[in-house]
Amino acid sequence: MGSVNLPGGDGGGQDFELNLAPIIDCLVVLITFMLASATFLSIGILDAGISAGGATTTATTPPSIVVTVELKKDFQMQLRVEGKETLTVPIGSSAPANAGASSQWNMPELVQKIRGLRQKYADFGALTIQGDNQLEYREFVTVMDSLRKEIPVVMLGGF
Amino acid sequence: MSTIGLKHFGGKRSLLHKKKHAPSEEMSLNITAMADIFTVILVFLLKSYATSALDISPTAGLKLPTAGANDTLEEATRVEISENAILVDGTPIVALKTFQFQPQDVESNQSSKQLAKEFKRLRDRQLLIAKANSDVKVDAKLIVVSDQRVPYASLKTVLASAALNGYTDFKLAVVKND
Repeated sequence: MGSVNLPGGDGGGQDFELNLAPIIDCLVVLITFMLASATFLSIGILDAGISAGGATTTATTPPSIVVTVELKKDFQMQLRVEGKETLTVPIGSSAPANAGASSQWNMPELVQKIRGLRQKYADFGALTIQGDNQLEYREFVTVMDSLRKEIPVVMLGGF
Repeated sequence: MSTIGLKHFGGKRSLLHKKKHAPSEEMSLNITAMADIFTVILVFLLKSYATSALDISPTAGLKLPTAGANDTLEEATRVEISENAILVDGTPIVALKTFQFQPQDVESNQSSKQLAKEFKRLRDRQLLIAKANSDVKVDAKLIVVSDQRVPYASLKTVLASAALNGYTDFKLAVVKND
């Protein structure tokens, strides 16, 4: 128990005791509540629209090119460009980073091609990702996350 | 003998009046230091406590994909895709089998009958509220909390069901990997 001795006006001391036990009780309850309700996961949000038939949903004027990235099995990709320029570019998987690891999406090559298209067409601001129906959701998120750094609008397609 | 014994032990008087230390029954606990520790822990937990308009707590066993997302959470309708069920705002709507829809539930336009019905109900309710209260706007946002192992076919079914009922602004919940 804390005890404070305050000097009085005429030389007499004033003692008061601070009862720490209830304070400790409150702190224990608060800490238990915070620990029980805390989520130590940091959750963010990826903005994604859907593209039906390759058309953008928000553009008022049709863009010069419509770009679609198709994800296939075995980490193969295909970049399709339609509009002022028609192009179909296959992009193979990249070598695994570590020995024993599986292949991965060849994002550097895809990003390089997207950058080239952005430099060529100033109004190119959206692309669509579609893929094999059995591919897992995380692969789409991985590709979307990489492409979002290069292009503002990334949509999901294949509907 | 007793005298010798007493003498040995320093005399009768000293034996009888030998001081015995009474066992102490009181133990003082310095709880000031404990209060300090608890205060520091509490301050740390308060600082890291996430307070936002929307609290996303994935159900047990649900693994979110990771991404470097920066967008902030906003209040919106939430659909959760787990291995065995699809939940809309916490209510199970459709039963899944290993992340797959039942074939009889999926229609030709790639939407799910049950899910589309639920989205329609929520949409109609939103429209009714917006009609009665001009301050309330109809919201096209939908937060998708999906397990990373969900096949794209199932995700498309969910998104198609939502899009057909006016939910076109999809927000994918991910774990930040910053």
